[in-house]
Amino acid sequence: MTQATPDTKDTKDTKDTQDAGRAGAPDSASSIYDLGYRRYEGERLGRRHAISALYVESLRGAFGLGRSAGAKVAPAVLIGIALFPAVVQLLIGALVPGDAELILASEYYGIITYVLALYAAAVAPDIAGRDQRNRSLTLYFSRAISRTDYALGKLGAMVTAMLMITLLPQVLLFVGNALSTQDFGGYLAEEWDLVAPIIGSAVLGSLLIASIGVLVAAQMPHRAFATVGIIVAFILPVVIAGIMVNEIDTAATRYAIFLSPLDLVEGATAWIFRVEPDAFATPGRAGHALWLYAVASVAWTAVASALLVRRYRTVQA
Amino acid sequence: MTRVILGLSLRQLVAQRRTLLLVLLAALPVALAVLFRVTGGSLEENPDFAAGIMAHFIVALVLPLTALVVGTAALGQELEDGTIVYLVAKPLPRWQVVLAKIGAAWIVTATLIASSVLLVGLVLFVGQEGASQVPAFMVAVVLGALGYTALFVALSIRFSRALIIGLAYVFVWESLLSQFIAGVRFLSVGSYTVSIADALADSPSRLVDGALSGVNAAVLLAALTALATWYAMRRLAAYQISERV
Repeated sequence: MTQATPDTKDTKDTKDTQDAGRAGAPDSASSIYDLGYRRYEGERLGRRHAISALYVESLRGAFGLGRSAGAKVAPAVLIGIALFPAVVQLLIGALVPGDAELILASEYYGIITYVLALYAAAVAPDIAGRDQRNRSLTLYFSRAISRTDYALGKLGAMVTAMLMITLLPQVLLFVGNALSTQDFGGYLAEEWDLVAPIIGSAVLGSLLIASIGVLVAAQMPHRAFATVGIIVAFILPVVIAGIMVNEIDTAATRYAIFLSPLDLVEGATAWIFRVEPDAFATPGRAGHALWLYAVASVAWTAVASALLVRRYRTVQA
Repeated sequence: MTRVILGLSLRQLVAQRRTLLLVLLAALPVALAVLFRVTGGSLEENPDFAAGIMAHFIVALVLPLTALVVGTAALGQELEDGTIVYLVAKPLPRWQVVLAKIGAAWIVTATLIASSVLLVGLVLFVGQEGASQVPAFMVAVVLGALGYTALFVALSIRFSRALIIGLAYVFVWESLLSQFIAGVRFLSVGSYTVSIADALADSPSRLVDGALSGVNAAVLLAALTALATWYAMRRLAAYQISERV
C-alpha cells in the first residue's frame, strides 16, 4: 500500500520530479516528499548586513521607535531632563548680558550623572535581554551572525544610544552659546579646541556606561529586575565610594572611587578637558592623578565588553 | 484567617532568593560603619558621619529599594501568577487580604532596615555620646517602611509594571528632582522619614538640611499611607476573577 502511493503520484508530478532530480538521476520515490516549499531566490546579504540590521533595530527599539507610545516615554523624558541644564544656561545667556557661563561643558556629566544611570537602566534592558525574554535568541544564532557579532552589535547599539544623551546636551550648549554671542564665527574660532574634548569625553563615558549596562541586562532576562540591577550597579558604588572617599578618607579607602563608574566618568572628563574636578565631588576629593580615571574607564569598558561577549558565547539560545 | 494569610505571605517573601540579596544590601552600611571604626575614624572628629550614613545611604537607597522589591512582590506576584484567585475566593473581606499583604511586606522591610540602623548605631556609638539618633532613626525607618510598602502594594495592584514605576518614583522623583525642585520634599516618603528622625533625635542641630517639621512629616506620611491603603483595598475589592486561573 505504501509502495503504491508514489507510483500514482508520479504521473501527476512529473515536472516537479524532474526539477528535484536535476542534481543526478531522478529519484522518483522522493517526489511525494516534495511539499512544494519555495526556495529563497533573492540576494543573500550576508553577515555584515545581518549585524547592521541587528544594530539598527536594537537602536530603534531603545527609543521605542516602532513600538507603543509607552515605550517612548522613559528615554524621551530622561533625555529631556539631561537637556535641562543646557537650556537653563542658554536662558541665562539670553537674559543676562555678558559672559555668564554657569554650566561648563567640562562639568556637565557631573551635573547629570544620575540621569545617565537612569537612562542606561531604562534603555539597556530593551537592547539586551529582550531576545532572551521572547525566546528568539535561537533564531538570531541560526542566521549568518556569530554569537560574538550579536554581542558586539548589541553593545554598539547601546553605545550609540548613550551618545544621544551624552552628546546632545553638549552640542546644544555649544551651539547655543555660540549663537547667543554677537560674534558667531568668532566664538567658534575661539572655542574650537573644546570640540575634541567634548566628543572624546562623550565617547569614553558612553562606552563605559553602555558596556556595564548591557552586561547587567544580559544577565537578567526579566526586564524589571534588569532595570533594578543596572540602577544598583551604578548608584550603589557612587554612594559607597562617596562615603569611603569623603567620610572615612584614608589613603586606602580613597581607591574605592575606582569601583564607581559614574565617578570615573566625571574624573576622566576633567582629565580630557584639562581642568580640575569639582573640589567637593568625589573625584576631586579622592585626589588621584586624573589620567588614572581615564585609564580605569578604559579598563572597565574592556572587562565589561569581554564579559558580555563571553556571556553570549555561553548563554543557552 | 487574616493571620494565616499574613503568615503565608511572610513565608513567601522570606523564602525568596532575592531576600538574600536584600540582606546583603542592608549589611553594606554596617560594613562601612565597621570600616570607619577600624580605620580609626571617630564621631568626635566627624560628627556628621552617623547621620550621613543613615540619611544618605540607608534612608535614601537601602530602604526604598528593599520596600520596592518586597512591596511589589507581596501582592503583585499573586496577581501575576494568578494565585490571587485562591485568596479572594475565600470567605474573607478583601480589605483584610490587602491589610495582611501590606503587613507582611512592612514586617519584612522594617525588620531588615531597622536592624541595619541598629547595627550601624551599635558599631558607631559604642563608647561615644549622642546615641539618641539611633532610636530616632529606627522609629523613623519603621514608619517610613510602612509608607513605602503601602504605596508599592497599591502600585502593584494598579500596574503590572509596578516595579519600574516605583523605581521611577524613588530615583527620578525622590533622588533626582529633589536636587532641582525643593518642593519635592513635601511629597517624598524619604524626606518624611528623615524629617521624623530629625525631630525625634535629641540633637542641638538639625541632622540633615531641608527637613520638614516632625509633625508635618508625620501627618503627611500618615495621610499617604492611609490613601495608598484605601486605594489598594478599593482596587482589590473591584478585582474581577477572570476565566484564566
